[in-house]
Amino acid sequence: MRFNQLNQLIAFSIFRILGALIVGFLLLILGFIIWQGVGVISWDFLTTAPTDGMTAGGIYPAIVGTLYLVIGSMFIAFPLGVMSAIYTVEYAGNGKIVRFIRVMTNNLGSIPSIIFGLFGMALFVNSLGFGDSIIAGSFTLGLLVLPLIIRTTEEALKAIPDHFRTGSLALGASKLQTIHRVVLPMAFPNIITGLILSIGRVSGETAPILFTVAAYFLPKLPESIFDQVMALPYHLYVIATSGTDLEATRPIAYGTALVLIAIVLGMNLLASFLRRYFGKRINV
Amino acid sequence: MIEAKQVNFYYGDFQALKDINMRIEPHTVTAFIGPSGCGKSTFLRLFNRMNDLIPGTHLTGECLIDGEDIYHKSVEIDALRKKVGMVFQKPNPFPKTIFENVAYGLRVNGIGDRKYINRRVEESLRDAALWDEVKDKLKKSAFELSGGQQQRLCIARALAISPSILLMDEPASALDPVSTSKIEELIYHLKKDYTLVIVTHNMQQAARVSDKTGFFMLGELIEFSETRKMFLNPEKEQTQNYITGRFG
Amino acid sequence: MKHTEKELINIRDEVNQMWLLVMSQLEKSKEALLRNDIELAREVISREKRVNTFELKIDSDCENYIALYNPVAIDLRLILSLIRIGSTLERIGDFAEGIARHVIEDDCIPLTEKLGEELQLKRMFDTLITMLSDSYAALEKEETKLSGKILGYDEIVDELYHKAIQVLAIYLQDNTADIECGLKTMILIRKLERIGDHCSNIVEEIVFYLDAKVLKHAYT
Repeated sequence: MRFNQLNQLIAFSIFRILGALIVGFLLLILGFIIWQGVGVISWDFLTTAPTDGMTAGGIYPAIVGTLYLVIGSMFIAFPLGVMSAIYTVEYAGNGKIVRFIRVMTNNLGSIPSIIFGLFGMALFVNSLGFGDSIIAGSFTLGLLVLPLIIRTTEEALKAIPDHFRTGSLALGASKLQTIHRVVLPMAFPNIITGLILSIGRVSGETAPILFTVAAYFLPKLPESIFDQVMALPYHLYVIATSGTDLEATRPIAYGTALVLIAIVLGMNLLASFLRRYFGKRINV
Repeated sequence: MIEAKQVNFYYGDFQALKDINMRIEPHTVTAFIGPSGCGKSTFLRLFNRMNDLIPGTHLTGECLIDGEDIYHKSVEIDALRKKVGMVFQKPNPFPKTIFENVAYGLRVNGIGDRKYINRRVEESLRDAALWDEVKDKLKKSAFELSGGQQQRLCIARALAISPSILLMDEPASALDPVSTSKIEELIYHLKKDYTLVIVTHNMQQAARVSDKTGFFMLGELIEFSETRKMFLNPEKEQTQNYITGRFG
Repeated sequence: MKHTEKELINIRDEVNQMWLLVMSQLEKSKEALLRNDIELAREVISREKRVNTFELKIDSDCENYIALYNPVAIDLRLILSLIRIGSTLERIGDFAEGIARHVIEDDCIPLTEKLGEELQLKRMFDTLITMLSDSYAALEKEETKLSGKILGYDEIVDELYHKAIQVLAIYLQDNTADIECGLKTMILIRKLERIGDHCSNIVEEIVFYLDAKVLKHAYT
């Protein structure tokens, strides 16, 4: 008895230490970035373009560019992903084809992002002739997160117990009505979670935009979806590795990192707020 | 009137129902009893074609409702299910308000007239003996109701689209005794307006609510007779063994 | 009210109707005997069939009730009491019929008016009818307060029975020619005594139903 209690004490202590360690690392990274970056953050930094060979000025074009890419890629990936998931879960049954699709989706998810970048360049930039542009970058990023959205939506749909579907069908509702009026509203909060995760992923990716959209230095805002934009991760990469004066730009790099983290965090917060809001409304 | 003629039903290679013949008169309560896996639920689900949802099944013989073969190509399943309502074992209200749960069947059937919907919701809740308990909280979530109330809500939901037949698959097996007794009372009174067919594991329940009882075993309909006859003097020895608990 | 409760009330109603019928049978057989009214006696005999029909109906309703509704506790006690009260009433009905047959077949009852009074037949009848109607009221009101009093009537009946035997014996010593009639009269008195026992049984059933106490054989 006493021996068991001791065992339990030791095991729980290990778990606690590990948990604290993880939170600790997270806080360490955040703290470090904030400590290093908060100094350069100012209204000007957020609203002006870089100047002096990117050793001074702000990151406004990069912020806007990242937002455009997030919005663009979600426009492409979200409907596509949700609809594919509805097809595989609700309609396709559990045959060989569906299993094949699922395996392929997972494979797609594990392809390195640089390959997406190369593929995007080959298909969208060159073959389809979009050039380096928001649309090419959005498509590439969209493809990148498609598996993630499909997987999370599938899980969200599978989590809805079948008796809600049969209950609806038994009332004379069609399959489409059942999905539209019962299944999707219930799955919505979890689908939103998938969206959040993909937004985080998209705004942080560098490799796929490298060859498809990102501009090294482009102090003006894009005018159409066929324009290039700057993007935060790529900008960060540039000023951290290939600037004219690396030491002088170091604070700007940390400031950029801080903004990037803030955007991702902010979107997560917004989305989790939305999720809770909808979740509450649905379960009234 | 419900009729089954020489019905055989298969899940893949497994024959779940064997040569079933049955006639169910309108405005009666018919109960199906039998050990688990005897085919009683499968047989019940034939009449609103719920078995169609399971892949790899097939049927021979005829299932007729009011003389019409419900497995004929020309039959629209949605329309059939409107006519043949169903209540499930586990209360399964939708995550919507109480009002919207009852209105659901009307809405999916293309009814938009608000006055009519309001009227039908109230009538159905009254028929399901739930109105007095929920009339002040129609806009509250259905999940706030107790299990027994949820099940009566599901009955109201099924009644809203004015079916003529109501199928119930163990409607009280997930409920406490008080709720069970309320559901049973409801079933007994509903036969005035509907034809009810109920599957139950609880023989006493079958005895309490039904006019006729069918005893199934291993996919066969062993005996189908007046409930009072079956429980006082069953024809078949298997029935006797089952209802006296000497089975297996 | 649940439909199972309604069913139970139906059976109770049937028992009540049978009860009233049996009481009137007893009343009429008394009148027939005391006034030597053959017509009335025939009526009693012909109505005996209705008593039997009641018993069969109550039996089968109780069987169904038990088979279908599995009564427990007070419901179970009620249904068991009702079955037994039904068959007891049926026997009382048989006795009433027997008395009526007596009136028709045996032209010697009461042997003389004076003897009839000495035998106190009227008082015996009246006590029995009181027992039946009091126990009927006890079941109706669901009260067992008066059960002791009703059971006390049975002792009066027994006393009257023993006295009547003595009176009859003395009478027959002087009138040996009437001996056959006398024996038949004795059987008749014996029937009245048995009715008293059956009435006690009914009271015991009511106590069993309401108080779950078993009075049967308690005082033997």
